[in-house]
Amino acid sequence: MSGRRIVITSGKGGVGKTTTTANVGAALAKRRRKVVLVDTDIGLRNLDLVLGVEKRIVFDLVEVVEGRCQLRQALIKDKRFESLSMLAAAQTREKEAVSEEAMARVIEELAESNDFVIIDCPAGIEHGFRAAIAGAREAIVVTTPEVSAIRDADRVVGKLTAAGIPLRLIVNRIRPEMVKNGDMMSVEDVCEVLQAELLGIVPDDEEVIDTTNRGEPIVLDDTKRLATIYDKIARRLEGEIVPFTNLDTPGLFGRLFTMFKAG
Amino acid sequence: MQAFDTPVPVPGPDGAAVPAVTRGRAIVITSGKGGVGKTTTTANVGAALAALGKRVVLVDADVGLRNLDIVLGLESRVKHHLLDVLEDKATLDEALVRDKRSENLYLLAAAQTREKEDVVTTQMKALIEDLRGRFDFVLIDCPAGIEMGFRNAVAGAQHAIIVCTPEVSAVRDADRVVGLLPSDWRPELIVNRVRPLLVKKGKMLSVEDVNGILRLPLLGEIADEPGVIVATNKGVPLALDPTSETGAAYRTIAAKLAGKKVAAPTVKAPSGGLFGKLGTLFGGRA
Repeated sequence: MSGRRIVITSGKGGVGKTTTTANVGAALAKRRRKVVLVDTDIGLRNLDLVLGVEKRIVFDLVEVVEGRCQLRQALIKDKRFESLSMLAAAQTREKEAVSEEAMARVIEELAESNDFVIIDCPAGIEHGFRAAIAGAREAIVVTTPEVSAIRDADRVVGKLTAAGIPLRLIVNRIRPEMVKNGDMMSVEDVCEVLQAELLGIVPDDEEVIDTTNRGEPIVLDDTKRLATIYDKIARRLEGEIVPFTNLDTPGLFGRLFTMFKAG
Repeated sequence: MQAFDTPVPVPGPDGAAVPAVTRGRAIVITSGKGGVGKTTTTANVGAALAALGKRVVLVDADVGLRNLDIVLGLESRVKHHLLDVLEDKATLDEALVRDKRSENLYLLAAAQTREKEDVVTTQMKALIEDLRGRFDFVLIDCPAGIEMGFRNAVAGAQHAIIVCTPEVSAVRDADRVVGLLPSDWRPELIVNRVRPLLVKKGKMLSVEDVNGILRLPLLGEIADEPGVIVATNKGVPLALDPTSETGAAYRTIAAKLAGKKVAAPTVKAPSGGLFGKLGTLFGGRA
């Protein structure tokens, strides 16, 4: 088995890469796929917090790369999803501790025993970014509908394209009322600038902050609309054609971009 | 309240030390975590200081992913950037962009198509020193992270403002950053994007929760306001909007930095919160 290797990146910090990594990973695990999440934000790790496993870290990515432990010893199995595990970043080291080649080797090894390896990329486009994409074969670019985020995403799209890595876009934290009032860019505006294929539209949801703080990814609760949205993203990743939900009139599937969409 | 630096003697024409006029303060605005409001804070505090009559320069240290120019609405006026100056391809005067609205406010933009590793730390320090000689305040917008970009942004500064949102990831990153700053510094804290209703419901950390971990002098708290997104997209800092609560918070912060006696702005948030849950934040391995 050689699993898929997907990096989640953005350029801009704080747009939702880690939240996306945790929730897309968990959504795939809910569908019984074998998933491993890799935190490559060495020095500023947060994926462990978002998954609620911070007290269970024994070994981290840098120790694996430096040969001080076996890869399997460093993997933390999630207690809620049988087929989900994660590899934590080191907290008191620097990104330079892991070279692009070393990262690629770790990702490759993980891909041998998982359906999906999902790589949480740090903010920026420096060494941390280069190492994070080194083992990836696909990318998901996360952006919010804000000028700064889009500008950074555009830079990242350029770098991914130059590296030959196919990519799809998640527009995160969209606020329908603001789009309607003309106070926020629409998904259509964003896609027009970035010229990227859309994978998902995730509305801003105040519950995300709380679930992140508690280390309980929102997809744990099937009743939450974001759980449905992340499930759709997971399905699209597996090749299903899933229409984007019209939030204005639930149950109606209109043409994309003519009505407010999410999903 | 922090005093200005004491005058720094500089060598006179004959080499002997001559007391200089008071040099400006260089303050780095940093966080570790991305997306918490460093650039918005830099632009707004800068605009507010300029409105108080201070001469202010804003330096975008986010080489490769510049955004300070957008937030100020100056992106089409940038002709030369930080690296052009450091590499002697342009003079400082050619690179400094004057703000559209304030004649006391200037921007030194980052390069967009270069890398943070291209900046030489000693050159950055020298540039900040040079700027301190020309301006009352040099505000350095630090990139996310703690690598070269961060180190270069800190070089040459004397003081730091830590921007943190009430979220566990941001608090953890801010804590790390404080540990990496020079140990004799006393950084001040701005807690950004506070939502009092969520705090009340126990669904967001309170400012007390955040500072219970960070233990820094509190420079200000700023409420989350959708208008911030609109303002940054338009390139007009809210500090210039008399009707904006966020703008008022930034103006108060600027007043404090300028040495005026004001109380730190607070958001009306009831006490309580999730402090107990923060025990898990730093559990396990460091």
